[in-house]
Amino acid sequence: MKRALITGITGQDGAYLAEFLLAKGYEVHGIKRRASSFNTDRIDHLYQDPHESGRRLFLHYGDLTDATNLIRILQQVQPDELYNLGAQSHVQVSFETPEYTANSDAVGTLRLLEAIRILGLEKKTRFYQASTSELYGKVQETPQRETTPFYPRSPYGVAKLYAYWITVNYRESYGMYACNGILFNHESPLRGETFVTRKITRALARIHLGQQDCLYLGNLDARRDWGHARDYVEAQWLMLQQDQPEDFVIATGEQHSVRDFVTRAAREIGIDIDWRGTGSDAHGVIASAALDSAAKPGQRIVAIDPRYFRPAEVDTLLGDPSKAKAKLGWQARTPFADLVREMMQADLALARRDALVANAGYHAPMHHE
Amino acid sequence: MTRTALIIGISGQDGALLAHLLLGKGYAVHGTSRDAQLNPFDVLQRVGVRAQVHLHSMAPTDFRSVAHCLDRVRPDEIYLLAGQSSVGLSFGQPVETLESIAIGALNVLEAMRFLALPARLYHAGSSECFGDVATTADESTAFRPRSPYAVAKASAHWTVTNYREAYGLHACTGILFNHESPLRPARFVTRKIVGAATRIAAGSDERLCLGRLDIRRDWGFAPEYVEAMWRILQQPAPDDFVIATGVATTLEDFVARCFARVDLDWRDHVDHDPQLERPSDLARNCGDPAKAERVLGWRARTSLDTLIAHLVAAEQGRDWPMSAAATTDPETASP
Repeated sequence: MKRALITGITGQDGAYLAEFLLAKGYEVHGIKRRASSFNTDRIDHLYQDPHESGRRLFLHYGDLTDATNLIRILQQVQPDELYNLGAQSHVQVSFETPEYTANSDAVGTLRLLEAIRILGLEKKTRFYQASTSELYGKVQETPQRETTPFYPRSPYGVAKLYAYWITVNYRESYGMYACNGILFNHESPLRGETFVTRKITRALARIHLGQQDCLYLGNLDARRDWGHARDYVEAQWLMLQQDQPEDFVIATGEQHSVRDFVTRAAREIGIDIDWRGTGSDAHGVIASAALDSAAKPGQRIVAIDPRYFRPAEVDTLLGDPSKAKAKLGWQARTPFADLVREMMQADLALARRDALVANAGYHAPMHHE
Repeated sequence: MTRTALIIGISGQDGALLAHLLLGKGYAVHGTSRDAQLNPFDVLQRVGVRAQVHLHSMAPTDFRSVAHCLDRVRPDEIYLLAGQSSVGLSFGQPVETLESIAIGALNVLEAMRFLALPARLYHAGSSECFGDVATTADESTAFRPRSPYAVAKASAHWTVTNYREAYGLHACTGILFNHESPLRPARFVTRKIVGAATRIAAGSDERLCLGRLDIRRDWGFAPEYVEAMWRILQQPAPDDFVIATGVATTLEDFVARCFARVDLDWRDHVDHDPQLERPSDLARNCGDPAKAERVLGWRARTSLDTLIAHLVAAEQGRDWPMSAAATTDPETASP
């Protein structure tokens, strides 16, 4: 039985990848950070009681900022495949926590590569590094492919740039099987609530049910290449099954603006938005809404809050996944419309649950950024 | 009014030569080292500026010490030269290399923001970021770093760019190609070669062990390069510059010229040692300094033979020029 170790198993990609690998028959180990509150929501459905026999999912307490801890876990697990998905992964937050971002995303990756070497696992453990389209930042060509020069525009992008190159360097210097997956934006109902797509579907659901009035966003004109995380974790796995380690762009090859995402998500729940104004004055007003909606025509439901503008913006990202198609036989399966629908419906269900709980007289969770 | 410069990492070759240059221009010069009490500042002594510079302890990886020092000195110009500086050592100390270089740069930038300091920052980038260069690299050439040192330098480079664009700081990176002087530590290959050649010429029977000899490097004379650092900060708008000679020479040619300078044939004294080859060594590294010449009016003037002559002179205890102004090239000067 193959053994995989996943850093960041409690995140969106970690959860999908764990499920994917378990279905492939892997024994899956994951690293989670200790926190005062439970932080395993996304993998609770995969949890197996320690007293059960034949258990194949194991969680270890750990942290990418603790080298000895990582060495000990690797020594114990002796993984065939190591997926480094753990990171401070939020671009906007990285401007506020640049050192922490560098420590977990850049030094953390180096710590893992070093742990593999110190334990003599260079020939056993295959390493996947979660790289990102944010490396392209101020894009030098469109679409972006494996050969496009990087131009990171945030502490997150810079930290991930370090991680990218140090992965390449360890592959070349020490003959390790180590790959970068340069993944463009990939979303799902499991996406963190503070990422823009999830923020949109969550807010629209709540507006629809009368739990919230307005959705505040930053750059509405930012264009991204959005795929479904479930499709993308398969590419991560495929990269580690090749004869030679290589880096791949993983993307849909299709681009939409944040504004377009909002328009389509709203239409899913019967709301048509009329866009007005430009720049920081841009806003969305309901042109028409379903009769059962708490949101009414004329209501201003989307507005700009300049606080969400990034100090240095990434205006456009569009990936060219042709290498992945040619060499991995991989391509994105979920069309944009289906992705938006799935996310919108999932958040609508959550908002309805909250409404039900509140109507029954119980306290419904009320999370804020 | 006297301008104040802070040189972070003043105890190395570039720090000392830059201090020498800035003192000559009338600056008040402050410098840092991780432990200013313990550091003997030998290189500053050799350059003769030890008594004229104000020395402070600062650990670039410790934000408090960075902010405290910047606040005390309130410099007009900051030169960030600190960091683990050996490519070879970076394979053995990758984390220290990354933290001293990248976290160090981040802390300086964050301290400038924190204090709202209207200072200009020069960041010492590195030609190592380019990796193997087929022809010559200029400011628009994509990075392809090939050592933990180079990856860390690339990371610091982009952090500086990001802070310039995100927060409007006057922060620049000089992408300097190899620049040598007798002040290099003995472990650097140029010093190692020149040292062995002069000792052998003086009667030593030692052998010189080297790794790959077919690598090509763009070698300049360090006093001219610190002049470029200063010029970079005198521009109205912050920008990045490649600083290089534009000429690539093989290490074998460098070795041959050094031995020829002391009337020896290198082939009689040099052994190849595969142990000295790095896990991934650059085959070729050469820069295109056209933008520096156009915008800064800067050009490398010291030929490789003159550089070698200076290095040999210093090994033999003779004088060598410590400032760019004194480096009229005999090869190009009228006879």
